[in-house]
Amino acid sequence: MSNVHERLRRLLFLVPYVSKHPGVTVEALAKALTISREDLLEELDLLTCVGRPPFNPDDYIDIYVDNDRVYVDLDQRLYAPPRLTAGEAAALAAAAELLRPATGDALQSALTKLENIIPPAARERFRDMYRKIDATGEAPLALGPLTRAILERLEVTFAYASPGRPSEPRRVRPYELLSNRGQWYLQGFCHTRQDARLFRLDRMEDLGVTSTGFQPPADARADVPNPARGASEASVRVRFSPTAAPYVKERFGQDARPLADGGVEVRVAGDSERWLTQWVLSFGGEAEVLEPASARAAVARAVHASIGS
Amino acid sequence: MDRTERILDLVALLLDAREPISWAELREHFPADYGGSDDAAERKFERDKAELVELGFPLSYVQGDDERRDGYLVDRNVYYLPEADLTKEELAVLYAAGSAALASGAFPGRDDLAHALRKIGFFAGESLPTPRVRMELGTGQEGQEKEVSARLETLWEACSAHKWVQLTYGSPKQVGVTERRVDPYGLALRRGVWTLVGYCHLRQGLRTFHVHRIRELKANTARPRTPDFEVPADFSLDAHVAYFPWQYRFHEPMEVTLLLTGPLASRAGSLFPGAALEPVGEGVTRARFPVTFVDGLARFVLSLGADCRVEGPPEARERLERMAARILEKHALVEGPRVSA
Repeated sequence: MSNVHERLRRLLFLVPYVSKHPGVTVEALAKALTISREDLLEELDLLTCVGRPPFNPDDYIDIYVDNDRVYVDLDQRLYAPPRLTAGEAAALAAAAELLRPATGDALQSALTKLENIIPPAARERFRDMYRKIDATGEAPLALGPLTRAILERLEVTFAYASPGRPSEPRRVRPYELLSNRGQWYLQGFCHTRQDARLFRLDRMEDLGVTSTGFQPPADARADVPNPARGASEASVRVRFSPTAAPYVKERFGQDARPLADGGVEVRVAGDSERWLTQWVLSFGGEAEVLEPASARAAVARAVHASIGS
Repeated sequence: MDRTERILDLVALLLDAREPISWAELREHFPADYGGSDDAAERKFERDKAELVELGFPLSYVQGDDERRDGYLVDRNVYYLPEADLTKEELAVLYAAGSAALASGAFPGRDDLAHALRKIGFFAGESLPTPRVRMELGTGQEGQEKEVSARLETLWEACSAHKWVQLTYGSPKQVGVTERRVDPYGLALRRGVWTLVGYCHLRQGLRTFHVHRIRELKANTARPRTPDFEVPADFSLDAHVAYFPWQYRFHEPMEVTLLLTGPLASRAGSLFPGAALEPVGEGVTRARFPVTFVDGLARFVLSLGADCRVEGPPEARERLERMAARILEKHALVEGPRVSA
């Protein structure tokens, strides 16, 4: 998309926004437009030259900054933004599909309302474009209540089955939901463990939202879990056959050490036996744990368990 | 005059006009821009008009009559964004998903999405929720976000405008890369990976491409407003992109039956979506579903542990046992430290 196009779209939103929020701070306006303060000031400069012929003084947009706040006295009929274009509505609808399984009826009704505010002539194109992004089916049902609990700052309870342990009840302050490689996690403060924890949504059962409120910390941001490249000391050596090597190289990049037979070797964190064995087994015989011996034995045990031998 | 400025002036002029504005008047109003030869001026105005249409500006040309003169007019009722009257829940869904997708760094139509979010938030005022949903999407490995994001943007535009793309593709299954011309039909996200589905001119058929494996990408820029291809009416993205490894179309479909016990019994539906489920006695669930890549299923079943067993057919069980035997052979106890090749 051309720069002119992007700029026009931004400016056609900027004037109405200031019209609706007179005295908005320069900082808040720049944030709303996701541009820098300098770029915003440049845009405001340009807008003072915009108006309609015959370009008498009253025909120009009168927008100005006073005491670091932005005001518009004459918006030249730019008091509301343009309607959603087919592309904008399609991108939004496709993004909303990411949460579909978790949203109940709210998503369907939101999409219907969205379609109603697109110009009638653009609706066919919207439907056509909307079908071009398919991001459905990724979200578990628990996402709905958890999103609400995060927004309303209410504690939640659930039964959680940690690997290798029976399910036990937890009471958690939910801070953030995180999706990584198709797996959803909840980050929050666990009262049961008295510590910050990351929970996999697919291991939660009997989720309930309580009426106990809490104040989330400002910087509650979870790290993306990646046992393969964790911060802990990498201690397990795994060798991959030439068949699996290209896929491993794709994920590990330069951390995958090439071997003479065309295979590769990587080192991964060994603090989660369950993760390690699942990961090695998912290569179906194209991966071999070289050391330590305890990890090799764990893989062999997991295979015996799987086939019941 | 700067082109952005001229188009904004046109918007202000047309939004204010009660009567159609003729081409002659426009030339009078913008003598420096639409001056010069007739041809050059008309070409310039045509380009501006096309930009206005791209912006969704409802511009039309009115043929005059006794009452009215010829000229350009805008339908103000169509131009302005009306309130969508979204409830708190609806706004939360759109806003949480939209901002998470945007923050993920890899979502097709990022610019469109950013504008859409601003617009739906326009009337929301203070009730705009603070999203706390984050998604890491679409990249094969860390550090690729920028490239994947740029490619998704190009593909989204090409999909929307029906323009073919030229791509250099590196598949892990092959040595080297291939050059292909592809008609992009759509983009699908599965388990954090973006896939392009389209008609490949090299293979003369529909093919799927992981976006993070595209090395170079260029869209056809010739005649941008003329579509290069039509997507068949019966095309569905879902029919071409697998969710799970056992859905890769390597073989004819085979119906496989699994028995799930212990904690997996109650999770059968989420582990194998779409499977026919049947309770078998206390805490045991039977799951039945079609499989087109048995090895993919065998690997997944192995990784689930003792609570997931293949009941049938025998071919699937044998395949799994062979795979298990191979892993055990590789992990047999050895004396002393092993040295890699």
